Amino acid sequence: MNLTPVESSNQPRKGGNTDMRLKKPAVALAAAALMTLAACGGGSGGGNGSGGTDPEAGEDPTFQEGGAAGGGKDPEREAPAPIPEGAQEGGTVSVLTAVAPTTLDPTRAYYTDSTAIMSDLVTRALTQYVYDPETNDMVLIPDMATDLGRPNEDNTEWTFTLREGLKYENGDDVVAEDIAYAIKRSFAIAELPDGPTYQTTFFLDGDKYKGPFKSDAEYRGVEVDGQDITIKMARPFTDMDYYASFPAFTGIPEEADNPETYGNMPLATGPYKFADYKPGSSLSLVKNEEWDPDTDPGRIQMVDGWEFEFAQDTAKLENIILNDNGSAQTTITYDNATPSTFRAMQEEKDRLVTGSSPCTFMWYMDMTKITEREVREAIGWAYPYENAWKAGGEIVGITREGGSTILPPGTNGRKEFDPLGDHGGTTTDPAKSLELLEQAGYKDGEYEIKFLFASDDPLSVQAKDEIVTGLEEGGFKATPIASTIETIRDDRTDYESPINVRSSGWCSDWPTGGSWFPAQWDGELVGVEGMPNPANFDEAYADKEQDRILDTLTPEEAAPAWGELDEMIMTETYPAVITGYSGTAFIHGSALGGVENDNVRGMPTFGQMFITE
Amino acid sequence: MGIGSTETVADHATDGPPVTSQDVAGRSPTKIALDRLRQDKIAMACLAIVIFFALIAIFAPLLTSLFGVALEQGDPGDDLDAFNFPVIGPPDNGFTWDAPLGLEPETGNDLLADWFYGARTSLLVATIAAVIATFVGIVVGLVAGFSRGAMDKVITFVIDVFLSLPFILVALSVAPIIVQRFSAQPALLESAQLFALIAVLSLFTWMTLARLIRGEVLSLREREFVQAARVIGVPTRSILFKELLPNLIAPIVVSISLGLPAFVAAEAGLSYLGIGVVGRPSWGQTVNSGVEYFNSYPLYLYAPVIGITVLVIALNLLGDAVRDAFDPNTRR
Repeated sequence: MNLTPVESSNQPRKGGNTDMRLKKPAVALAAAALMTLAACGGGSGGGNGSGGTDPEAGEDPTFQEGGAAGGGKDPEREAPAPIPEGAQEGGTVSVLTAVAPTTLDPTRAYYTDSTAIMSDLVTRALTQYVYDPETNDMVLIPDMATDLGRPNEDNTEWTFTLREGLKYENGDDVVAEDIAYAIKRSFAIAELPDGPTYQTTFFLDGDKYKGPFKSDAEYRGVEVDGQDITIKMARPFTDMDYYASFPAFTGIPEEADNPETYGNMPLATGPYKFADYKPGSSLSLVKNEEWDPDTDPGRIQMVDGWEFEFAQDTAKLENIILNDNGSAQTTITYDNATPSTFRAMQEEKDRLVTGSSPCTFMWYMDMTKITEREVREAIGWAYPYENAWKAGGEIVGITREGGSTILPPGTNGRKEFDPLGDHGGTTTDPAKSLELLEQAGYKDGEYEIKFLFASDDPLSVQAKDEIVTGLEEGGFKATPIASTIETIRDDRTDYESPINVRSSGWCSDWPTGGSWFPAQWDGELVGVEGMPNPANFDEAYADKEQDRILDTLTPEEAAPAWGELDEMIMTETYPAVITGYSGTAFIHGSALGGVENDNVRGMPTFGQMFITE
Repeated sequence: MGIGSTETVADHATDGPPVTSQDVAGRSPTKIALDRLRQDKIAMACLAIVIFFALIAIFAPLLTSLFGVALEQGDPGDDLDAFNFPVIGPPDNGFTWDAPLGLEPETGNDLLADWFYGARTSLLVATIAAVIATFVGIVVGLVAGFSRGAMDKVITFVIDVFLSLPFILVALSVAPIIVQRFSAQPALLESAQLFALIAVLSLFTWMTLARLIRGEVLSLREREFVQAARVIGVPTRSILFKELLPNLIAPIVVSISLGLPAFVAAEAGLSYLGIGVVGRPSWGQTVNSGVEYFNSYPLYLYAPVIGITVLVIALNLLGDAVRDAFDPNTRR
């Protein structure tokens, strides 16, 4: 998914941090918007083997290089999930955050926060991710289905078999028809907006069927036979097992559904159920007694309940957790720590969790306006990577790490390469930039780069100042175009905006290139409302290769092929400056155990957390 | 009869002991007030502080070069450590003359230079806004008070309309409009934001003074000297500015002196909310970004907070003293 309008605002911390009182709603909203986009699950990988979060490692946590990105699948995982050592029964975990999920409707959950809360605690889906301590990575395992789904030969039909003994919080059985209904429900984009939309691209009749609320016509794409659910595709879909982990693939009984209110009290299938939900301010979860650990290979139910408090002030919530008194010991936040809190936590690294999250930030250069390759490369050399990150409030190496590939570390099949030669993703070299500009026939200060910033976001302004300096040193004329937190997203996705560079990014929905290139680098997307292809990138060679990968390759062949396509696009065309990969760094109280980074979402691993003595 | 007061004076002159005129002569009410002000120690101390800040504001460029700091963009890569904290100066490395107040985390900008220029922004905005608000208030008040009938009604209505506008709401909505209008001209945007801020501040403060002046004029215009002037055919303009205005000096001075600190605080407050000036240093902005460093780097927050507090208190006390000095009803 798309992300962060503003260079700086990728972190939720912006939400509460800089602003109080009046600005809060707007900012929280903006931050929430970022989350949306940063939402999509995806990107397992990012594992680091060792170090990072391990307090005993005894060194500064560093960005986790993508390690065991073997796809991370374990179709054989058995229920129940093991109870971790040192876990105590009881207690309530408080979760404080500066942002607030806009909705918790399972079909609409596409934000990192809403998918993590729903998937880990409340609504089970066909598949799920669990944390693997050995690889420090997330692994895809079965959830309500008995395995990870069985595709037919050409990946145009996927069959999932539902487990026996699954129950809703009210004691009713979860039946295959409920899953089928939930799948049909996900087509109702008009009634239930903002959710993931791959079904409209890949599922049979995805372009025609508008959901169960619009038409009485039976949807042909999903068939139920006893406990078996079969999903039919319009074109081969190799990543259905990953996609089936989204909360949209939970069970929703048709008679209990009302698209307008279901998200306020969704029926729980997981270990916890809604006790009280005030949208935008708080959510409390209590134990779901109907959940049976023997049907769930991934989750545990050690704590009695969860108290989520949304839209809190960042400085306040960080102080509470930092001081670690009383109930703060069982408190956690999923917002990235501010640099000053991050520093204060260096003495208590066991309360600091760092890791990767699957997003790449980019400066998309408008291919219709910046047509010379030399100029695009010059921008890559002139961009003040480290300065802009620091001024934007990022902790370099923790919440932002340089790189040179579109696919972030940890993506299955990712290939390391350096399109600019010895650049490494962090080198700023004004001399090289000047040289390239001269080759292209431009004098110092002649070529104008116009980009957006949010004038009411101090971090955005600070980063803008650095970028202007960097570009000017590199021989460009820099014209920052002012926008506001409220409007910058619209300005950026407007084809008519007076800019020739767009700062944004993408987060994977699952850890293969399949959730990257067809979404942003497809020539057919040029001109589409909302500007899904921010670079206006329309190259025949890339489109051809994408069709070949999607239509003819098996999952095993497709993953490395996406890595090759990444290199092909970046070295042949260089349409985007990679301005770094995202990382997470969040803090928690001393009495919480099982807190790890879910690198699929950049969120805490709620599903395996417990309270220690 | 209408000649009472002259009679009294005449009585005094004839009945009482001969008045010695040497002390009384030539002392205008303003002069009396200033004399009283001069004897007020607190007022003088506050005046000194205000002048001190004014000098800082005026000579900000000179001061920054005197201290060997500069209002230029820091270099985050070289000046900051892995946690975005400065590698020289407080909070970690003790005092250094290279950066007496330290460097700003995240950007590496010099905080002393920011502070000097912040004083400049504060006082610039406050002074201009106070002058505009006072001028508009005086003119509107005079006209409303002196004209009878429809004109007065219309002006009073306009004043009421402005009084009913919610200040923060307007300020909040003007900011993005300005940004959008001037988005493509960065240089123009900065001055546009400054002028918009001044406009918003003055737009919401002239009404009180206008009402005050109108009330005064209403009572003054029935007084004999005004009646007399009208009878002998003095033009209205002269009556307004020659006869009435000098009698209104007291409320005007008081209004300015109490308005200034309010503007300083408002400027900081709006900047803190992110709807003030952008692109030039301001105390409000520094407070805004310094809040999150309160635990680890308190000086970052304290410098602008102390600046605002001292300046506002000094201006307020001075304003009180001025009011006391100009108000004939107070006796000390």
